[in-house]
Amino acid sequence: MAQVRALDVVADTQILPIERPRGSALGRFARKKPLGAAGGILVLLLVGTAVLADVLSTHDPVRTSTNVLVAPGADFFLGTDNLGRDLYSRIVHGSRISLLVGLASTIVGTVLGGLIGLISGYAGGKTDLLSQRVMDIMQALPILVLALVLAAALGPSLPNAIVAISIPIVPRAARVIRASVLGIRELTYVESARALGARHVRIALRHILPNTMGPFIVLATAQLGGSILVEAALSFLGLGIPEPYPSWGRMLSIAAAEYAERAPWLVIWPGLAISLAVFGTNLLGDALRDTLDPRLRGS
Amino acid sequence: MTPLRRSVRLAALALVLVLALTLPVPAQAPKSGGVLTIHPLTAPPSLSPHEESTIATVQQVSACYSNLVYFDPAKKQESIDTVIPELAEKWSWQDNYRNLVVLLRRDVTWHDGKPLTSRDVKYTFDVVRGAPDAPVKLRINPRKLWYENVEAIEAPDPHTVVFRLKRPQPSLVLLLASGYSPIYPAHVPIADLKTTCVGTGPYKLKDYRPGEFVEYVRNPNYFVKGRPYLDGVKWVHIKDRSTQIAALQAGQLDVAGSGWNRTNAETAKKGKPELTVIESDSNVNDNVLINAKRAPLTDEGVRRAINLALDRKAYLVGPRQGAATFGGAMQPRPSGVWGLPQAEVGTLPGMGDPVKQKAEAKKLLAAAGYGPSNPMKLTVSTRALAIYVDTASWMVDQLRQVGIDAVLEQIETGVWHPKMTRLDFQVALNLTGTAVDDPDAMFFENYRCGSQRNFSGYCSEEIDRLMVEQSQTLDHAKRLKLVHEIDRKLQAEGARPILGWGKQYAVYWPRVKAFAQHENSIFNVWRLQDVWLDK
Amino acid sequence: MRGYVTKRLLIAVVTLFGMSIVIFSLMRLAPGNIVDILFESAGYVDQADKKQLERELGVDRPLAVQYSRWVGEVARGDLGKSYRYDMPAWRIIKPRLPVTLELAFLALFFSILLGVPFGVLSAVRQDRPLDYVLRVLSLAGLSMPAFWLGMIIILFFVRALGWMPSITYVSPFVDLKANLWQFTVPALAVGYRSSALIMRITRSAMLEVLREDYIRTAWAKGQRGTLVVWRHALKNASLPVITVVGIEFAFLIGGLVVTETVFNLPGVARYLVDAILLRDYPVVQNLTMFIAVVVVLANLAVDLLYAWADPRIKYEKA
Repeated sequence: MAQVRALDVVADTQILPIERPRGSALGRFARKKPLGAAGGILVLLLVGTAVLADVLSTHDPVRTSTNVLVAPGADFFLGTDNLGRDLYSRIVHGSRISLLVGLASTIVGTVLGGLIGLISGYAGGKTDLLSQRVMDIMQALPILVLALVLAAALGPSLPNAIVAISIPIVPRAARVIRASVLGIRELTYVESARALGARHVRIALRHILPNTMGPFIVLATAQLGGSILVEAALSFLGLGIPEPYPSWGRMLSIAAAEYAERAPWLVIWPGLAISLAVFGTNLLGDALRDTLDPRLRGS
Repeated sequence: MTPLRRSVRLAALALVLVLALTLPVPAQAPKSGGVLTIHPLTAPPSLSPHEESTIATVQQVSACYSNLVYFDPAKKQESIDTVIPELAEKWSWQDNYRNLVVLLRRDVTWHDGKPLTSRDVKYTFDVVRGAPDAPVKLRINPRKLWYENVEAIEAPDPHTVVFRLKRPQPSLVLLLASGYSPIYPAHVPIADLKTTCVGTGPYKLKDYRPGEFVEYVRNPNYFVKGRPYLDGVKWVHIKDRSTQIAALQAGQLDVAGSGWNRTNAETAKKGKPELTVIESDSNVNDNVLINAKRAPLTDEGVRRAINLALDRKAYLVGPRQGAATFGGAMQPRPSGVWGLPQAEVGTLPGMGDPVKQKAEAKKLLAAAGYGPSNPMKLTVSTRALAIYVDTASWMVDQLRQVGIDAVLEQIETGVWHPKMTRLDFQVALNLTGTAVDDPDAMFFENYRCGSQRNFSGYCSEEIDRLMVEQSQTLDHAKRLKLVHEIDRKLQAEGARPILGWGKQYAVYWPRVKAFAQHENSIFNVWRLQDVWLDK
Repeated sequence: MRGYVTKRLLIAVVTLFGMSIVIFSLMRLAPGNIVDILFESAGYVDQADKKQLERELGVDRPLAVQYSRWVGEVARGDLGKSYRYDMPAWRIIKPRLPVTLELAFLALFFSILLGVPFGVLSAVRQDRPLDYVLRVLSLAGLSMPAFWLGMIIILFFVRALGWMPSITYVSPFVDLKANLWQFTVPALAVGYRSSALIMRITRSAMLEVLREDYIRTAWAKGQRGTLVVWRHALKNASLPVITVVGIEFAFLIGGLVVTETVFNLPGVARYLVDAILLRDYPVVQNLTMFIAVVVVLANLAVDLLYAWADPRIKYEKA
């Protein structure tokens, strides 16, 4: 039950036949998991665009012009918005915001949640009980609703958006890591370390932490797509990243809704960018789960 | 009504009759019946116009109330000459514009059946001006300032009201004619009027769902005989502009366009060419608040540089999509009554050659010690609403073009006005619409020292003195001269640079008849008693 | 069993209590004084009037006093007053409830209708082209922002097909056809995303069951494939699916928030967004609490149902 709930953003499992290693690890992954490989390519594309945004863009993404609502063509690959800004360059630069907010909030949320899960699972007893109840409380609201309320309370800014998106991830991360710590704790070598009188911190760091890395990576990849989606929704509702940062979600909010009929490209391209980025991380996340974390199979 | 005006009216009526008889196609006789479905600017915060400062409330509640006097809906330009009687049968000034005597109609009843008396009128304006002996206090009272000059209101008999003024103020009649000045029932608790409506107007409230719709039915006992023509009016709220357009095109809305821009109107017309599109000037302007009390804006050169950097022609094409007019603090002519002469408008900062003006702005900034190695950092604040953010994003880009390192700060609803009141910003983009195209309404509210809505903190004793002077001036030409003098000074000092004056749109099906729009106010045409449907 | 139920109930109460503190604190963190909103539509702030209002509304009292007053109100089922509209929040919410309930119900219906059969199909055809197609489709559903899906649907349907539902809510008891015309498309938009989740869980649960000996035996005995799948396998895979439908509930609310906004449906979820954007804090506070109660109760129900349906669950460890 606990495991199932921990996967409520992306949950998939697959029973794999036992494999014999052949070829390079990467090649093997691509062969066994064509969908995962496709996801990997999409993610690489996203990262590449973000890194090379300055090179790839054809215009200054915030520079307004008198070329208002121009249809896609040779001058403006994806057309312009209502202030005459080049949509293609804005989408290219928007990848930075999406990736930055997505990665930062995922890392903050999973690391914080992971630590809580680690301590909770390892210490057990009252600490565990208390932290479990706190996690229950944080999960009493749907992710988007909690993020909405947080964003409203904190006010719109880049750091605040990251905080608002990362907090709902914490309990989900804590659950997964706690479950895997509980499993590892009982393993023989940990017990023997304890019997030998090793200090708790040392055991936690040396023996347990490394063994939770698998589920941790799986979890983080799965959450990345979710974070990008929540950022898009917050910005769409006007509570996320403020102007003039070219955020994909924000691009869909004002201009797109207002000029949908006159300039459908304003609706189509930013949404497609979001969807492809999330699709890529989800595909990769799925494949990583199957490969790295056999324990989650069949949950 | 003065005898002269009455005879003019009669003559006009006779002329209309003659014209009607001689014209080959006689005007269609209005038909009764039908419900008008119409889209407002936004959902109203409450149904109480005396407690709000938004067109949304005035627009959607005017059908329920009546004023003492109102602007003739059929005349496009509002002025003292287009004021017509409503609850007032007639009115006259006495003691050289010191006392306004109003005689009320005797045949008016409230929607709940009680008769209207002078007590209701005295009650309404005593409450609004916050008179010490007013029976109740408005929780929020945005237009107290309008009636500052009223010393006392008397109700000597059930159908006579006298406004006693401290100094002469002919413009008081204009304020009384505004959509913000309906008469409230003294017998209904004032707090109830935020969620319900008991008026004397052409329509009675049927149902109100916050954020969804406001629905009215015909008032059979309306004091204007034969009105209204419609069986009802329904204001429906749709958040997305594109959905509004689609609903209009599908015929589910009879009228839309409030708050639209030119592209929206064109899109609607393109899909359904039979739609009627009316584009008119409006009394809402985009203005820039420059906080002269905050460094580095204490420097006059810097303030001027900002004003020059904002190329008004680019503003017209960009955020306003080609639909705006230019002017000073008062709405530009010919739609406005008090605007600066057009020749002068062309010489205002920001109106000239953009390359030269940007160069001049850079020079001014350099003189203040800012340059490429030491760019000025500036935060442009604006409300987190589309219509504000678009223009402010454009502003940020314009300022960047003269080397200012500008960033945009979006301020949430609920924080915006407190922040503006505290002067807690550097530069801000603001929208201002004043209910009546009259210098008293515009200047006192936005430019007077210490006014609560003087968000730029501008304060000049000389201007304050001139304001009072123009208000008391009875001769129109003399008053106009004074108003121009004030406006010129305000523009020269960059008190509150005006980017431009936007346009308003009404888009409706041909079956909608006698739908009116005024060119110099969006606030005073929503009684809807003459509108009819040709179905 | 009774001990388990008591324990679960106790946890639910503790969770809601904690949630109330979180929500209450968040609303106090928010920028701007609550009273400032009242002045918003007036266009200015009068400091003397503001002090007076703070006293009237009791927001100048110590936080603990304000908190206990609020909890008292919530416990009595009082949803408070909207600052923005100056009327009891319940008066605004009541006509909106049927909209949200119908949308949620229809969306859930569609998500099960699509999710379960496709999940089974995907499992039976594991690693064949159909499986890949279905998995990609479901993952695509999870990857699209719900509001964007809505916008695309509107763009396509309105433009190409002339779909234009009533702009005001039509009750199914007044005009069923117009009502379904209005709700089917938004419900499909929400349901598609949710069905993806159900499909994935159904698929993995099915895969597990299909490996069980008795299924293999049935297959080996030559029983027809489809029959085996539907009779035995699905029956056993239904437990995790029930669970997901429960979890789905929280997921669904997230989807409703943006879908009601995009499709102009006057529901409770859209009202929450409006209240947040208008900074109508008392309403945000109470509606959020209301959602927390609904989610916690739904989870409780799922837990109990699960425990009742599957005696293998060890109550003391859950």
